Amino acid sequence: MKFDISYTFDALPRLFEGALVTLQISLLGIALSLCLATGLTLVREATGWTWAHRMLAVYISFIRGTPLLVQIFLIFYVSPVIGLDIGPFLAGILAITLNSAAFVVEILRGGLASVPKGQFEAARALGLNGWVLWGKVILPQTFIASVPALVNEYTQVLKATALLSTITIVELMRVSQQIYTRNYHPVEVLTGTFLMYFVMCFAVSRAAAQLETRMKRRQA
Amino acid sequence: MGLELSIFIDYGPRILVGFWLTIKIVVLAIAIGLPLGVFLALARRSRLALLRFAATAFIEVFRNTPFIIQVFLIYYVLPFYGLRLPAEQVGVLALAAFGSAYFAEVIRGGIEAMPAGQLESAHAIGMSETQAMRYVVLPQAVGVILPPLTNQMLSLIKESAILSTITVQEMTMTALRIQGETFRPFEAFIMIALLYWLLNEVVAIGMRRLERGLTRKTPRSTTLKVEGGR
Repeated sequence: MKFDISYTFDALPRLFEGALVTLQISLLGIALSLCLATGLTLVREATGWTWAHRMLAVYISFIRGTPLLVQIFLIFYVSPVIGLDIGPFLAGILAITLNSAAFVVEILRGGLASVPKGQFEAARALGLNGWVLWGKVILPQTFIASVPALVNEYTQVLKATALLSTITIVELMRVSQQIYTRNYHPVEVLTGTFLMYFVMCFAVSRAAAQLETRMKRRQA
Repeated sequence: MGLELSIFIDYGPRILVGFWLTIKIVVLAIAIGLPLGVFLALARRSRLALLRFAATAFIEVFRNTPFIIQVFLIYYVLPFYGLRLPAEQVGVLALAAFGSAYFAEVIRGGIEAMPAGQLESAHAIGMSETQAMRYVVLPQAVGVILPPLTNQMLSLIKESAILSTITVQEMTMTALRIQGETFRPFEAFIMIALLYWLLNEVVAIGMRRLERGLTRKTPRSTTLKVEGGR
């Protein structure tokens, strides 16, 4: 067989649509993950609930110790059995969010560590506490310090969404599978898909690297 | 529906067979991927522009695409060019190629984290090249490289689950089959999740011990962060 590039070109319009879905899902995933991780960070850093801290540690260890694919299957196949009919899309978003949040919590921990102690002391000396202390003083600085790592995390989420093809979500990977099961030219179609993922991920990870050097320069 | 404990007893042995294949695949992938990673790391620092470019392209391409599509592409490309291999071997090759790109970055980072003065000082006090490597550079580099290398190995264990999509009969595939036969997804998937978790912790603890034994009192100067898969 010869590589016939016309099959790649024919597939392109539909692959673009798939890529758009991939971008939407991944952006939704990272946004939800950031919200969840911020909440979990507040629980860990601003409360003295030891039982919650312990559960959080187990959650992070479980997520980091098991394959994302298995987490996706757990949520997708188990939710209808326990009476939650949430469908593949919600199950997929939930799995991606729960997975990414465990990593984002660790990123935010790093960002928080870079906020000088004097910020806490100064804010407390001014009489700030609770929501004002965290929401207006500490968290904004934590987020800014975490930006490069968070952009990097986005590439991870972008790649992770390809696994959702296994639970029938029609994103880029699934679209390409639909095309080549019909025209029997998997190599040509998958090459197009491969390049599309590469362009998206490479652009984002280059941006992350540049942000990191720029922020280092600013600190120096 | 309650928990059906008999599933664990009836299907446990089959899961363990899959678990064993998962371990075999990951060990083989590391055995192939680690030397390839060393080669790529050195090639990326080579003076030959062509070699440098080829290594950089390989590393960036494998790091910036989802593993699942790498697996599918390799699975279909090999027979396309006349190479017919069993799915298991395709899986090992794909995992090794994926791993080598990340191993290369870890190793390159370790080499670059070493201050040039270390080698120069070793020469200055009369050490030969091999002595300097053996007593000065390597012991320090190991401390820098081992933790991210461990993370990378752990991520290969997790990525190996994706090989189930090309019909490799490893642990995740086995669980998928069992849930299809029994309609007991929770029991099937929680069983393998716990085994992956266990394997992950055992390897992590083992590598931490090894690291402590190897590095002894050398201070860890930098920690590298290279992220693998999920």
